Order: sequence, then structure tokens, then C-alpha cells
Amino acid sequence: MRRSFARRVAGRVLASGAALVLGGCGQSPITPARIEPALEATFANLVELQVSRLRLPPIAAPDFAVTAICRKQLAGANAGAGDWTCSLVWQGPNRQTLRDTYDLFVATDGCYTATVTGESLGGPILKASDGSDVRNLLYTFEGCFDTM
Amino acid sequence: MTLRGVCAVIGVERSKLAAQLKTRLVLAACAAGPFVFAVAMRVQSNVPADTLFGRSVTESGLAVPLVVLGFAALWVFPAVASVVGGDLFSAEDRYGTWATLLTRSCTRAELFAGKVLTALGFSLLAAVVLAASSVAAGLLVIGGQPLIDLSGVLLPPRQALVRVALAWASALPSAVGFSALAVLASVATRSSAPGIGLPVVIALTMQLYALVDGPEAIRRSLITSGFGAWHGLLAEPSYYGPIADGAIVSGLYLVVCLAIAYRMLQHRDIGG
Repeated sequence: MRRSFARRVAGRVLASGAALVLGGCGQSPITPARIEPALEATFANLVELQVSRLRLPPIAAPDFAVTAICRKQLAGANAGAGDWTCSLVWQGPNRQTLRDTYDLFVATDGCYTATVTGESLGGPILKASDGSDVRNLLYTFEGCFDTM
Repeated sequence: MTLRGVCAVIGVERSKLAAQLKTRLVLAACAAGPFVFAVAMRVQSNVPADTLFGRSVTESGLAVPLVVLGFAALWVFPAVASVVGGDLFSAEDRYGTWATLLTRSCTRAELFAGKVLTALGFSLLAAVVLAASSVAAGLLVIGGQPLIDLSGVLLPPRQALVRVALAWASALPSAVGFSALAVLASVATRSSAPGIGLPVVIALTMQLYALVDGPEAIRRSLITSGFGAWHGLLAEPSYYGPIADGAIVSGLYLVVCLAIAYRMLQHRDIGG
């Protein structure tokens, strides 16, 4: 009884170890297919939050209809950790179509830092409608996605 | 090997540790460090922007324990594990006390188990003190404001606090794994300097490898990968695969390191 339990536990550990090793072989899990949906969702959530902080009429995250297209900055395989550029197309609060570009540094664990290029989204600090200073959540932000 | 014998060894080791200045200093640093950090964040305008949640550290006190956790994963956990685990066995070599210990009514197995459990227990205690102090420092110095998670979602304080606690809990298997590594270094080298230094150097090497875009299988098999597994808990939807992986890898390190260390100790010729 005890021996069969030990065998079952050992089998499970071996199976998990094999899955860990085999699952980790091959192409890097950091691909546009993983980065783009993560960035779209995070950006939309942050825009919703930013609108609320600026005391503007509330808009739900899905209404921004964010679409991201990402490519790795270095030539070669479009996968792996490092520097990426992502173009975002989204619907602004006045229903106008907006385009912004972000430089991303993606780490091997799937966490990234996104920094907007250009001035289209303002500087690091914004003025709210009541005149107070508010950190621009869209200027630089971080996120993580599952690499497994 | 009897439970009574193991408990007796733990009791002796615990009182030895309690009398040492270095263990008191480590625990005091774990308790006071987060408060110093939180106060520094409160009184000046710069934030640790290159760390996850570093930008949020002045907006929500609940970001403080996460920034501290990121820093602890790099330096504190391996160092704390080594300070005790890397010295418990080699100290007996340094003072020449093995023969005296083994003439007492305890076996090598009991000695080994008692010392290992003491080392693991100290690592866990230091991690718990650091976690509790980080949360307290964040809440008392900065405040309990809602926290923006890694998917841009605003978490209410209570929900954020639960995730912060889970994040710290997810790092414990890796901390325990490093303690086992330190025990192995202590038994194998019979010297405290490499016993304490080797695990820290190994941790740094692993952290450096994580910066390189190398094979994913190697990155996942590193004990340090488990330290960053908490990121999935602060994303929407949360993902738990890295936590499970980290626990399996840490468990393997624990079993392998302790098995080798135990075999070495059993086969050592300890003369009078």
C-alpha cells in the first residue's frame, strides 16, 4: 500500500519534471500571440482608470477596442525576450481612432515595461479637470503574461 | 532516528542561534528594513521605477511588500538561507565538536534532521518577519490605498492584501530550496566561508542567466525562477503554472541537496 503510494508520487514528480523540460524546449514562448492580447487588455484597463482619475465621464475598458501589433526590434525571429515595438490602434473617449506606439522591454519571465514614444499621450504627469497633478498611467506601465 | 532525538537537536540548535549576534541582526534587519524603505519613499520624490510596482510605491502602501519581495528574491532570500544553513554543519568542523556531539545520545541521522529543520525554520521565520514587516510598513507609512495590478486593474485593498500574502507564500519553496543548497555547501566544504558564499554566488549566477534569452527549459529548472512566480497572482486572469513549476523545482533541489548532504555526513570519518 505504502509502496504503491510512493510509486504514484514518484511517477507524478517524474511526469511533472518531464513536462517541465519538454515544455521548455523549442521556440521561445515570448511571441506576438502572447504579448499583443496582454498589452491590449492592460492598456484598455489603464485607459479606463486614467479617465476616471482625470474625472472624465466613465468609459468601460472594452469600449476602447484596443488592437496591438507587435514586432521584435532586432531582425530575425519574431520571438524572445528583449526590445519590442508595439503599435496600438484604439477608440478615444470622443470615439475618434487613435494610434500610439510603445517600446516594450520584455523579460524572459513574460513581464514587460511599456513606454510610449512621442507626445501623443502627454508627459509623465497630467492635470486633472480640477487642476490637480495625476500620474500618467499610460506614459510608462508594466504588465506580465503567462509564458507556459 | 527518533522524533525525541530530532527535537532535542532542534532545541540545542535553536538556543545556539538565539545566542548568536548574526541571527539577531538578520531578523532585526528583516523587521526594520521595510520601514526604512517605506519612509525613504515617503520623504523623497524618486521611486524604484525599474522594479515591478516601483512606480506605485508612493500611491499605495500595498505596493511596498511587492517591491520588497522583488528585492528579497534577488539578494535577501539566498543570503538569509546561507547565513544559517551554510554555517550549521561547518561550525562543528570549525570548533572541532563533531566527536563530542556524536558521543552524546543522538545519531548522525538525528543530528542531520535537527540541523536541517533548524536551517529551514530560520529561513521561513526570516521570510515571514520580512513579509509582515513589509506589509506593516506599507500600510502604516504609505497607507492602504487600492493597488493597480499587472493587468491595469484597480484592486480593492482587501483583495490586494490577500494577493500580496499569496505572493510572499509562493516564494517560500524557493527560499527553502536555497537553504538546502546552503546545507549541502556547508557539509561538502566543511567551511563556513564557502558554505555562506556559494549559495549567494549560485543565486546571482541564476539571476544573471534569467536576464539572458537562453533555452526556456534551463530557465525553468533554476531555483530562482520560483521567486518571480508571484507575478501571475497579480495579473488578470491570474495564472499559477509558474508557481507549480517553482514548487516542483524547489522540491527537487531540496530532496537532491539533502540526500547528497546526508550521504556525505553518514560516510564521513569523524575521529575523536
